[in-house]
Amino acid sequence: MLRYTLRRLAQLVPTVLGLVVVVYLVLRLAPGDPAVSALGENPTAESVARLRERMGLNQGVIPGLLDYMGGVLRGDLGDSIVETRSVSQIIGDSLPVTIVMASAALVLSVMLGVVLGAAAAYLSSRGRDALDHGLTGGAIVMEATPAFVLGLVGLLLFVLKLGWLPATGIFDLVDIGNTARRLALPVAILTVGSLATIARLARTSILEVLNEDYVRTARSLGESPFAALRGHALRNALLPVMTLSGITFGRLLGGTVVMELIFTLPGMGTTLLKTIVDRDYPVVQGIVLVYAILYVLVNLITDLLYRRADPRVVLT
Amino acid sequence: MTAIVPVPEQVRTNPRSLHGPPRFDVVHRLVANRRVIAGLVIVVPFVALALFFPVLPFRPPNASSLGDRLSSPSLSHPFGTDTLGRDQLSRTVAGARISIMVGVLAAAISISLGMLIGTVAGYFGGWVDSIVSAVLNVFLSFPGLLIGLLLVAVFGPGVWQIVAAVSIAFTPRAARLQRASVLSMRNRPYMDAARQAAAPTWWILLRHVVPNTVSPMLVVGSIFTADAILIEATISFTGLGIVPPTPSWGSIIKGGQAVLREAWWISLVPAMCLIVFAIGLHLLADGTRQVIDPSEQLEKQR
Repeated sequence: MLRYTLRRLAQLVPTVLGLVVVVYLVLRLAPGDPAVSALGENPTAESVARLRERMGLNQGVIPGLLDYMGGVLRGDLGDSIVETRSVSQIIGDSLPVTIVMASAALVLSVMLGVVLGAAAAYLSSRGRDALDHGLTGGAIVMEATPAFVLGLVGLLLFVLKLGWLPATGIFDLVDIGNTARRLALPVAILTVGSLATIARLARTSILEVLNEDYVRTARSLGESPFAALRGHALRNALLPVMTLSGITFGRLLGGTVVMELIFTLPGMGTTLLKTIVDRDYPVVQGIVLVYAILYVLVNLITDLLYRRADPRVVLT
Repeated sequence: MTAIVPVPEQVRTNPRSLHGPPRFDVVHRLVANRRVIAGLVIVVPFVALALFFPVLPFRPPNASSLGDRLSSPSLSHPFGTDTLGRDQLSRTVAGARISIMVGVLAAAISISLGMLIGTVAGYFGGWVDSIVSAVLNVFLSFPGLLIGLLLVAVFGPGVWQIVAAVSIAFTPRAARLQRASVLSMRNRPYMDAARQAAAPTWWILLRHVVPNTVSPMLVVGSIFTADAILIEATISFTGLGIVPPTPSWGSIIKGGQAVLREAWWISLVPAMCLIVFAIGLHLLADGTRQVIDPSEQLEKQR
């Protein structure tokens, strides 16, 4: 397992390097001069020259890229053009909210999804398909519903009409009670958005596994359906769910951007949107890079869990 | 006693014609599929309204009448009016026009580019494939919305900028799917036969590879259109995509956010349209897949 983990980590290096290259080149090779657009209307030639120097735009693309890569390896993502803080500080301040929100939604939707999926599989095996049909319908609707629409509906119902939860005001992650109240609704909405798809997959794969010989044997030896499921079936049935949860995390990260916007949370999403408007390119680069690395890391973790659950997996 | 009827040349050489022309058969089965029908019932009216919007008797979508601000849905304004007193029905239809156009264009561009890249990588293999796959993997490591936002940061707001951003964001997904389906058919007997017969590579690609991948890619195209519309709406909702006064579903929803409590219909009616239309496209894709790939259907029934 250790060797597998190390080799999987080593495979990550080219991907992360590729991400750095893409993020750097997209903004560097884009039409127009980023220094000019960052300075807004009618910048003086002198200020443009100063900013170009600071952003490292005077060197060629390849030396600039190598510089940027070197910086990333040292944890230095450059400096903001607009603020006095460094890009790493800005990200460090906004990352926790985003991570808490996305991972809470992921854990909740996987756990609830598996429970719902198992219930639907059990009912289906008894010939009652209502829950399955509900999940299928829910999955179709949720695939077609963007997170921001769910967010607006949640805002309208629970904040504006019922007044149960706050959506504005000071946000301090250390104040647990306040944090819980502010994050409850966005996390619930993100969970609702990905729950049905996970539950439907869990149901299908649990039903498949329940037909396997070893489950039948366990049942014929007198195990209850629940014990057979827990002791034999679940572990195999959850493999596809693990893969899906990695993909779901990417969608959830996108979802956190709009949740932060709607519920005024100081995370990476709101920071990203603000810095795109300000044309603060070094921060934009840094934030997109961190999102991508988070996504890659979570997929690494799901891969490792998969391997733990199914040791037959070999590295290709 | 048996009369010898000369069999027409065409029939003899084309065994398919025993069961009627194959294309007709597919159309027949499509029309018999419940999901396809449901999808069409949803998608066709939206597309028709969007296409014929300029010749239909709608009010101008940007004509404001300040006396009628924020009026709730009524007979004269079935979808109500917005903060500037503009008729929401005509804005929603005009928004459909822009949103659907962005979705269809972005899907068409990304699928065409993806088919080109995927075919080259899948058919030629070797170092070409290694390089293409490595690049695709990097692009696929960005969460979908984030690569869209990164590109919008570069291109700036506007309809064509959004089309470009979403097209680029979706191309790697299309290319990976195309590569997989080309790989799966590269060593089929008929391909070997074509190569044995010294058919030129371009001919093999055009005659055998591309035609066999078109129908699965059409299914993907329907899903991509839905996803592109959702991404456009999301980016426009953040204020970085299609900006006022141009109506798209996303920009109208954003416009209503500030008055959500007083006038929910401004945001939520176009949002419903967006969701229903996307569901229609997904149903269409699901049904079409069942028809053209019956193996999957059998898989499900087991």
